[in-house]
Amino acid sequence: MVQKKSSVDSEDVLNPRTATEKITKNKAKDEKDELSEEDQQLVSELEMIVERLKESSVDIHRSAMENLNNVIRSTTSSMTSVPKPLKYLKGHYATLAELHGAWSDEGNKKALASILSLLGMAYDKEGKRDCLRYRLLAGYDDGQISEWGHEYVRHLAMEIGEEFAAKIEEDDEESAEMLLEIAKEVVPFFLKHNADADAVDLLEELGHHELIADYVTKETFERVCLYMISCSPLLAPPVDLGFLETARKIYGKFGKPAQCLPLSIRLGQPELIEEDWESCSTRVEKAQLAFIMARQQVYMPQLTEGDDELLACMNNTGLSKNYRDLARELELLDPKAPEDIYKSHLENTSSDVTLDSARHNLASTFVNAFVNAGYGTDKLMTGAVDGNEWIYKNKDMGMLSAAASLGMVNLWDVELGLNDIDKYLYTDDSTIKAGALLAIGMITSGVHDETDSAKALLSDYTTDESSPAIVKLAAISGLGLAYAGTNRQDILDMLVPLISDTDITIDLSSMAALSAGLVCIGSGNSDVSTVILQSMMERVDSELSHKLARFMALGLGLLYVGTQDKYDTILETLKAITHPIGKQASILMQVCAYAGTGNVLEVQKMLHMCAEHVSDKEDQLSQAFAVLGVGVISMGESVGSAMSLRTFEHLMHYGEAYVRRTVPLAMGLVCASNPVVGVVDTLSKFSHDNDKGVASSAIFAMGMVGAGTNNARLAQLLRQLATYYQKDADVLFVVRIAQGLLHMGKGTMSINPYHHDRTLLSHTGLAGLLVPVVAMISAEKLILTSSHFLLYYLVRAMYPRFLITLDENLESVSASVRVGQAVDAVGQVGRPKTITGFQTHETPVLLGHSERAEMATEKYLALTSVLEGFVILKKNPDYVEEKEED
Amino acid sequence: MVKVQVKWQGKKYEVDVDATQPGEVFKMQLYSLTGVEPDRQRVLVKGGQLKDDTSMTSLGLVDGQILMMMGTAGELPKAPVQPVKFMEDMTENEMAQALSIPAGLSNLGNTCYMNATLQCLKAVPELKQALDSLAGGMGQSDPRKNLAASMRQLYDQLSASSDGVPPLVFLQFLRQVFPKFGAQDRQHGGYMQQDAEECWNELLTTLDHALKREDTSVVEQYMSGTMVTTLSTEEAPDEAATVREQMFRKLDCIIDKSVNYVAQGIGKGLEQVIEKRSDALGRNADYKAVSRIARLPEYLTVAFNRFSWKASESVEAKIVKSVKYPLDLDVTEFCTEELQARMRPARQRVRDIDDGLAMERKLKAGKRPSQQEEAEPVEPLAPFVLADELKADVGCNPSGVYELVGVVTHIGRSANSGHYMGWVRKEKGVGGPEPKSGADTRNWWYKFDDDEVSMVTDEDILKLCGGGDWHTAYVTLYRAKQLN
Repeated sequence: MVQKKSSVDSEDVLNPRTATEKITKNKAKDEKDELSEEDQQLVSELEMIVERLKESSVDIHRSAMENLNNVIRSTTSSMTSVPKPLKYLKGHYATLAELHGAWSDEGNKKALASILSLLGMAYDKEGKRDCLRYRLLAGYDDGQISEWGHEYVRHLAMEIGEEFAAKIEEDDEESAEMLLEIAKEVVPFFLKHNADADAVDLLEELGHHELIADYVTKETFERVCLYMISCSPLLAPPVDLGFLETARKIYGKFGKPAQCLPLSIRLGQPELIEEDWESCSTRVEKAQLAFIMARQQVYMPQLTEGDDELLACMNNTGLSKNYRDLARELELLDPKAPEDIYKSHLENTSSDVTLDSARHNLASTFVNAFVNAGYGTDKLMTGAVDGNEWIYKNKDMGMLSAAASLGMVNLWDVELGLNDIDKYLYTDDSTIKAGALLAIGMITSGVHDETDSAKALLSDYTTDESSPAIVKLAAISGLGLAYAGTNRQDILDMLVPLISDTDITIDLSSMAALSAGLVCIGSGNSDVSTVILQSMMERVDSELSHKLARFMALGLGLLYVGTQDKYDTILETLKAITHPIGKQASILMQVCAYAGTGNVLEVQKMLHMCAEHVSDKEDQLSQAFAVLGVGVISMGESVGSAMSLRTFEHLMHYGEAYVRRTVPLAMGLVCASNPVVGVVDTLSKFSHDNDKGVASSAIFAMGMVGAGTNNARLAQLLRQLATYYQKDADVLFVVRIAQGLLHMGKGTMSINPYHHDRTLLSHTGLAGLLVPVVAMISAEKLILTSSHFLLYYLVRAMYPRFLITLDENLESVSASVRVGQAVDAVGQVGRPKTITGFQTHETPVLLGHSERAEMATEKYLALTSVLEGFVILKKNPDYVEEKEED
Repeated sequence: MVKVQVKWQGKKYEVDVDATQPGEVFKMQLYSLTGVEPDRQRVLVKGGQLKDDTSMTSLGLVDGQILMMMGTAGELPKAPVQPVKFMEDMTENEMAQALSIPAGLSNLGNTCYMNATLQCLKAVPELKQALDSLAGGMGQSDPRKNLAASMRQLYDQLSASSDGVPPLVFLQFLRQVFPKFGAQDRQHGGYMQQDAEECWNELLTTLDHALKREDTSVVEQYMSGTMVTTLSTEEAPDEAATVREQMFRKLDCIIDKSVNYVAQGIGKGLEQVIEKRSDALGRNADYKAVSRIARLPEYLTVAFNRFSWKASESVEAKIVKSVKYPLDLDVTEFCTEELQARMRPARQRVRDIDDGLAMERKLKAGKRPSQQEEAEPVEPLAPFVLADELKADVGCNPSGVYELVGVVTHIGRSANSGHYMGWVRKEKGVGGPEPKSGADTRNWWYKFDDDEVSMVTDEDILKLCGGGDWHTAYVTLYRAKQLN
């Protein structure tokens, strides 16, 4: 991509060569045309100079050359035409080149070479790279390269690149080395002249992008880093990571640990994170890092070295309180009932009657949970006089989900929320108890507390022989939710034996594998993967065909999120498994490993799989995973995801039933919490598909796309769908769920796994999306029957889309910020605006998916460049209170 | 001694721990602080729970360490005594009972005219009672009695089912008694569409006959009134007006250009001009026939004369003009003066009740009724005395005020084509629960579209007044307003 960029640049109209070609074409005409008097004079002057150069006196040469230099420099060149002296010197180029060969005086030779180098960029023969050749002869280490101006340097840089590639092919390392030397002269020039992209590109072409760090200055480093970071996804490994490393190094050099940290996280190296932490000069900076780490769920409590306040930041302890403060600010504290969401008086139905439908009540349970998530109060469970009444208005597994909804309502509020759940732990009804355990897992998801409540409460149930299977299942899932991304060995020690134990049922093992995958997500933990593989091999086929067995495969995949190509051995082992789950697992693994990388080759691989016609039912599932793969791999990168959306339309036309059912879900993944008009329209179209499965997943996807946005258009579409499907209990259930998602957290949440200005992929967030989506692929077996609790895994993807500003004492403080649509300002000259159509707000404030915030006041300086989540502000020492009379 | 902090319900308690004692003692300490019994406490310490027999030393507590306690003093949740019965678990019949949406009648080939009629007539409970007490089955010699018996059976079937009931037997008897309803379309085959009003009239006539006991029948008692018609002509003012008393089962609403409201149409129907031979003049003269009602039945049928014979197309063409009809109909003006005087107290009573209701609604609608308003006691209704004649007359309407309970509507352009539907008011507190959505309606209505039954509001009923190609009221059934 970068190469392409520079080649595009070199072909633009400014290029002398193209311009000359045009001139040559018109040559005949030109000659006939009478030259103006002025031009005539110039021509004769140049001819005279050349004549003098042909003479043999060194001194004459010198003065003639000075003349020539003056003539060339003094012409005012316009951007669209070749400077006249250059034009008229064309005829003399060969002569001058000959003269250069004949001369012996070093000084003159160099001077002439310099002129020839300039002329060379227009008149050399293709591929000879005269410009560079003469430049090397003329010397370059004394600022000479800048004497002919910017355009010349750009051309020179291009030739350096070409020459370098040629030399590498010839294995001529010495010349390559020399080229690097001249490049080192060119780069500072570029940086000085706002051509940071060119500077980076040149070094990249020479394979030494890391050198840029030596040349950047306080003025240029931000732009250089920005360019490098945004190039990174477009480069082939390993240069992509190299770019990030270099950018990180530059940020580090200029003391920006908050900018380093996201890069360290992307690089996935804990030791770099530690380094960033140590490089912080103040405690406040560390707190800011802790907030970013908490958002990404990188949990390294050892860094805080016993500093309680920093630990609290890293534990995300304040999340619940701040979220509710935001709700108070926005006047959202009043709980909402499902009916407030359905607004069924706007629906065109008249036959809805107050009769307890288990299905309808279950939908209300979920809607209530999602809508009031994190607020601590709701109307069904905590708000009612007798909260448990609602639980009994649900049936069988519905009671589990109802009890578990307490966890969603009390999300992140460990202290008070657990008390609400406590009483359900004493019940004899194992389904309710299971729900309570799952709720504990949810409450503690994403926040850590000193007493390690989730482990304390859940661990007993996972091992206790006497507890019913459903209770065990919930405890296992709860542990997974609570400790996702923590990589804690003690939790794994509890889960791993359950995976390998073939005496327990496959559903327990599968959920244990999923939980283990969540706990050490992206770690590539080989112990866990071995155990999962072993379990897959030991289990009999009928067990592996269990509806929950796919989560064993997903658990395996999650281990490798973002690891790219480190899974080869596992893939080989999976081939040995004859049951289709082997194939499913290998696809899920590739999907997870390349999640968010935009790797085109992997996307193509997935598409190939989608195109095959398979008859085996289980194979269809792996095909469905491949469809998800297209979305998951290309998500987070705008060009790639736009392309994947186009591809999906094709799959929708030509794909098999299973593929078609998965396509809307994949679209939902790509655009989670980002209701782009085009996608909403497409999904709305699919929501009336003849295949109920397609319709259901499209409707669910509509919920995902609008999750937490309150998008009015989607709300209206979903209401219409509720009317349309009023007779179809299954689809109606999905419509209700989608409505709940749309109004998640009363419109203050996002489930998009990308955060930090859409640059960081939250692994746990992705997992939180994948679980319900994988369950939705066979909705009729999972979500629509007894495993609807899998929807609660979304909790890992949910996060408030707020911006909260804190002062140096970590107290919340209000500051004015501008919020607007983000603009891609990479590589643009000057200091372009990064947002457009902005409005000024006082924090705390909500940010939309593609929105960006920037400070609107000089009063404070933010400790991080990305204003999202928790941002610490420090007082600007240079700030002067504005006088009113001004 | 170690000082630890215990978090409970968002509060922090400082507790001195005697490390030599077991966990039980510590829990007792917490009990005194929080009031939560020890066996309801869960104390969380670094990823584990404190057990009663755990020695506190083994926990390795340090000063200032934070422990968390879970537990509430309140009662534990219990399952409800009456387990919730879910829709999904119900059989179809249970569901019908729970929902109490009455069953519909399936269409057996252009039988919607009959279905609509039957559903509306079902709104007359007296009729059903009479049918229930009818003796004899369907094997009698009188086919009309058989028809009544089959109607009884059909109504029983309807009450027991939630799905559409096919009125096969009834239809067979109907066609037997009235062969015209069995007419077939010569061109296309199949049975032809019939006029619902005709069906209505014929059915009532049949029932009148079949349900006759002694010398009266339920139809006569509850659904028929009497009117006094005075015939006079201006051409012969000296001639004594002829007065005739006759029974009626319906009032006709004549529709012409000037009629916009049903009362106007009824008025037109009661004042007609007929040509008759005058004995005094010895020739035919235009006589004015003015009818006044002398007895109002409890159930009043108002038929809209929507179809007029169009000779040019030899078809009964429909007049689509909009004729508005009220939910509450006062027919006092069409009564004889004598009856009007007799009905006055009852009428006043109805008005009082209505005012009371209106006030109640207002109070409910007002967001915050001021305290004064609240304190104001609801005035007890003034006592009233019903005229003896009216009291004695079972099945009459003593007030002259009616409320709408049933409508038969027609869509289409002629009586023998298109589609009929029945709309019947749902009685408050009877039948199933009402839709909970906040539609502003006094009453809910069942819409019987053959075997599809749904619920609609007052507003939807009033929309059936015609004036377009939507369903248009054809026969309306009014019931006397209650006096209590």
